[in-house]
Amino acid sequence: MSDALGPFRAILLGATIPLIVLAAWQVASTQEWINPLFWPAPSTIAERTWDELMGGALATDSFVTARRLLIGFVLGAAPGVFLGLAAGVSRVLREAVYPTASALYVVPRIAMLPLVLVAFSINDPARIFMVAFSVFFIAFFSALSGAEQVRLTHLDVARAFGAGRWRTIARVVLPGAMPSIISGLQVAMGFALIVIVGTEFLAADQGLGARIWTSYQVFDFPAMYAGIVAVTVLGVVLNYLILGSKRILAPWQR
Amino acid sequence: MTIAPPGARQEEQTRYLDIRGLGVRYGGKHGTEALRGLDLQVPEGSFHAVLGPSGCGKSTLLKALVGLLDMQVGAIEPQPRLPAYVPQGDSCFPWLTAAENVAFGLEARGVGKRERLQRARSLLADLDLGDFADRYPHELSEGMRQRVAIARAFAIDADLLLMDEPLSALDFQTKMRVQSELLGLWERQRSTVIYVTHDIDEALTLADHVTVLSTRPALARETIEVPFSRPRSYRDVRRAPGYGDLFARIDALLEA
Repeated sequence: MSDALGPFRAILLGATIPLIVLAAWQVASTQEWINPLFWPAPSTIAERTWDELMGGALATDSFVTARRLLIGFVLGAAPGVFLGLAAGVSRVLREAVYPTASALYVVPRIAMLPLVLVAFSINDPARIFMVAFSVFFIAFFSALSGAEQVRLTHLDVARAFGAGRWRTIARVVLPGAMPSIISGLQVAMGFALIVIVGTEFLAADQGLGARIWTSYQVFDFPAMYAGIVAVTVLGVVLNYLILGSKRILAPWQR
Repeated sequence: MTIAPPGARQEEQTRYLDIRGLGVRYGGKHGTEALRGLDLQVPEGSFHAVLGPSGCGKSTLLKALVGLLDMQVGAIEPQPRLPAYVPQGDSCFPWLTAAENVAFGLEARGVGKRERLQRARSLLADLDLGDFADRYPHELSEGMRQRVAIARAFAIDADLLLMDEPLSALDFQTKMRVQSELLGLWERQRSTVIYVTHDIDEALTLADHVTVLSTRPALARETIEVPFSRPRSYRDVRRAPGYGDLFARIDALLEA
């Protein structure tokens, strides 16, 4: 029996569960089986999201959050990948860095926030640092793991054919580790989104996190849900961007 | 198929790759001894097969010659200068196309991109893989990938080619085809080849000489001249007079 689905049927199948949940929520809210103050109907949320988007406030907050997220992501991912690859090819560096990285990796990110605020005060650098700090370790460990998984045969071939250390890193270790790096960055992006929204809850007056938190505090639940919708859309878009980058950076991956 | 006059090739080949007293030990002073005082003389420009029991150190010998392992003792004269190497199993880089794989060694030697890809495509065309030059290894069959790995070794025009059971995973039909293509490439280049295999038929089909190694730590038990004239194929060799005796002699050495 074949499991193959056409693209239209696959989309339809994937949309079935959310559509059922939304329909049930719509009925439950309009019939007041659940409290519509806390659980406004999806149609109300959609209407409010549209209004906020057209008013420009939601788009501005989305842009602010996306900007912080992307700057922090790049500032964390680039050195994380570089150091991870370097530790993957240098045993000395791995032994020197691994214990510290392992210890810092498990520190809950939000527990770092007071210290970060002391260091950077309540400004964008603090929020960006929180994202970068979170992304760095995931990028580091995924690059390290990818570099360690490069087959010995491929390293032997590179060495046998006279490739020097840098050529081996650029032509063998980096591409060999690329699938692991991309998977790590995909996880890191989700993590970064959680951290930036969490940080904006506590220490921001702009951004989607701040919007969600402020709306909650004034019991404006449709606006809060509009913020959640925007965060979800942002997350989905960024996830697809990373998946798209995989096609460019690792085109040999089936 | 005829038997060449004994010693005919040796008269022309006076220079040798001379391996003397080669010893390799894994894991330091108290580790496992893989090779102990191995001597091997390989006439330059000849195809030399090395046979031996499983785990005797055949692959270790090649890795030491490539420079991937530190030799604890011994000498190789003349010292191989960047020999070409075909390791055991699938060794194509999955992230490079067939042509880029073949061109890899040329890149490390500073050959320009255009020239090296042109050379790679030409070699792939010689191996009937011209239409697959831009495919990634996962899009090729196992036999095709091995041919790409062999083409990569031939691409750099090395004086010494070291091949570690490159055809061992192939089915019989594919193996015969690749053997024939391998011989075609070698007969054009005439580099010195040291070819590790566990297959007596393959050794007799390809090689001018067969050295049989002992169990680990390996010593060269005996080197036997293969007298069959070239060009030759698996079928020619099987039908040649003297084939059965040679096969039995090598088999007995392996069993001893």
